Amino acid sequence: MDQAVGWLDGPWGIVVLSVLALLVIGWYLSYLAARLDRLHHRVETSRAALETRLARRAAVALEAARLVAPPAGEQLRLAATRMVRAPDAPVSEASENLLARALHQAFGDAEKVKKLRLDPAGGELLDELVLAGERVQLARRFHNDAVAHAQRMRRKKVVRWAHLAGTAQMPQMVEIDDSQPEGLVLP
Amino acid sequence: MRIGMVSPYSFHVPGGVQFHIRDVAEHLLGQGHHVSVLAPSDEETPLPPYISSAGRAVPLPYNGSIARISFGPVASARVKRWLAENDFDVLHVHEPSSPSLSMLAMWAATGPIVATFHTSNPRSRAMQAAYPLLRPGFEKLSARIAVSEDARRTVVDHVGGDAVVIPNGVFVDRFAAAQPRPEWQGSDTRPTLAFVGRLDEPRKGLQILTAALPSVLRSHPGVRVLVLGRGDAAQAMEVLADQPAAREAIEFLGALDDDAKASLLRSVDAYVGPHTGGESFGIVLVEAMSAGAPVIASDLGAFRRVLGEGEYGLLARASDPADLATKINELLDDRTGAQERAARASVAVRRYDWPRVAAQILDVYETVTIGADKVGEDPRLGLLARWRPKVS
Repeated sequence: MDQAVGWLDGPWGIVVLSVLALLVIGWYLSYLAARLDRLHHRVETSRAALETRLARRAAVALEAARLVAPPAGEQLRLAATRMVRAPDAPVSEASENLLARALHQAFGDAEKVKKLRLDPAGGELLDELVLAGERVQLARRFHNDAVAHAQRMRRKKVVRWAHLAGTAQMPQMVEIDDSQPEGLVLP
Repeated sequence: MRIGMVSPYSFHVPGGVQFHIRDVAEHLLGQGHHVSVLAPSDEETPLPPYISSAGRAVPLPYNGSIARISFGPVASARVKRWLAENDFDVLHVHEPSSPSLSMLAMWAATGPIVATFHTSNPRSRAMQAAYPLLRPGFEKLSARIAVSEDARRTVVDHVGGDAVVIPNGVFVDRFAAAQPRPEWQGSDTRPTLAFVGRLDEPRKGLQILTAALPSVLRSHPGVRVLVLGRGDAAQAMEVLADQPAAREAIEFLGALDDDAKASLLRSVDAYVGPHTGGESFGIVLVEAMSAGAPVIASDLGAFRRVLGEGEYGLLARASDPADLATKINELLDDRTGAQERAARASVAVRRYDWPRVAAQILDVYETVTIGADKVGEDPRLGLLARWRPKVS
């Protein structure tokens, strides 16, 4: 036994052990980098999905604005038009919240919305709007979940010390009001 | 859409997760999607064409039941071959926190992966110890679904991160339209109660119901209890050795098919769910509600939510035979109240109807596939995962 490990005491032992340690550290860092890369990718994909869903909701909201009497209808039309006109712009939390407020004002009263549903075309449009809203909620939850995982990874000491994130920006959650107005439920 | 689903448990053994997967798969197939389900199975028994076998499963105790699962290098190679053959848009793994095909698939794939968490358990030491090893896998999930608020809390506590709640589905109309059978229907003097679940699985609570029975019989001597489920009837009756009246009140129907189960729930005067714990959803309750049966169930968190805190059925203290007996007597004494609750329940169950539930699941698939690549093989995994035994 003594003989078997004896050679590790000499200078060769130190070399072998250092090389092994470097290999393990190298493997661990590349593994962390791969995980981080995957999380960044998830953040990007889920953000793109959220933007698609938001654009869709804005388009349906613009259509639905004609069902609503002014001034709520007019406000909704303005808020939605801004978003529809700029489909490729990054998500602006302020304008999304503006649209959310306009939606709440237009469809906050369940009784009034019931009346809008009497017109079959209106009913169909409102169903679309309910779905579009639910899909925004879904996409935002998935996106923020990806962001939370990525942020947690980025805060790790090893990740910061080894600059594994490179120059990528710290992902941020999208904080917008995506609650559904009272009146926007499937019948 | 091309959808791959992975079941951790073998389809030769009935179970909630398997039924859920089968129903989603068949519903989505019916809508014209391509669906393939990978599950452990023994080669001999025939399976529906959309299920691919991942080889033999071994029994393993999990969450108070015996689950049949496959795990290991051979199963892992099958998973990879199945992924490569099918070119999925989305991969949906069920219960990926159990050592199973689902976990292997989660490790082996990249791209849009959705996971459904079915169980709710209190924070366990084993999970806490295993979690650092599982975290990298869970990070790959584009979306997590929990079948109930309780299952969601388990995800948040154990797994970290968020999950959307999409309930288990039921084909409500199959239960609502089932034919009652006269031999199971009760009369004023001989009301019938139904129990559904394995006899030898304590968490299903048959022992609580048998213990409650003598005091039910004192108020309602004609009560009949119809017990549907596998297990040793003689053993279940042991506690009633000195209660001949109670023994006579219980009738064991054995295991029945889905149609017969629906007929049973449609026929009886009440369904009793005396579960003691470990239930994250309560699909039987929803089935009973769909069939229009008045429900009495334990006040477990998941059951309270399904029963609208008592709006759609009576709640009895869990593992408390005395309280269960009181509630059964209360129901049998006030049939009008029971019918009113059942009527409200049959409206409320619509949100568990498969078309509604499957649409929500499909919404999740669509959300995670927008702009995403297809499901591929994860090139960056540990050395062990690269070892690939030959599979015939």
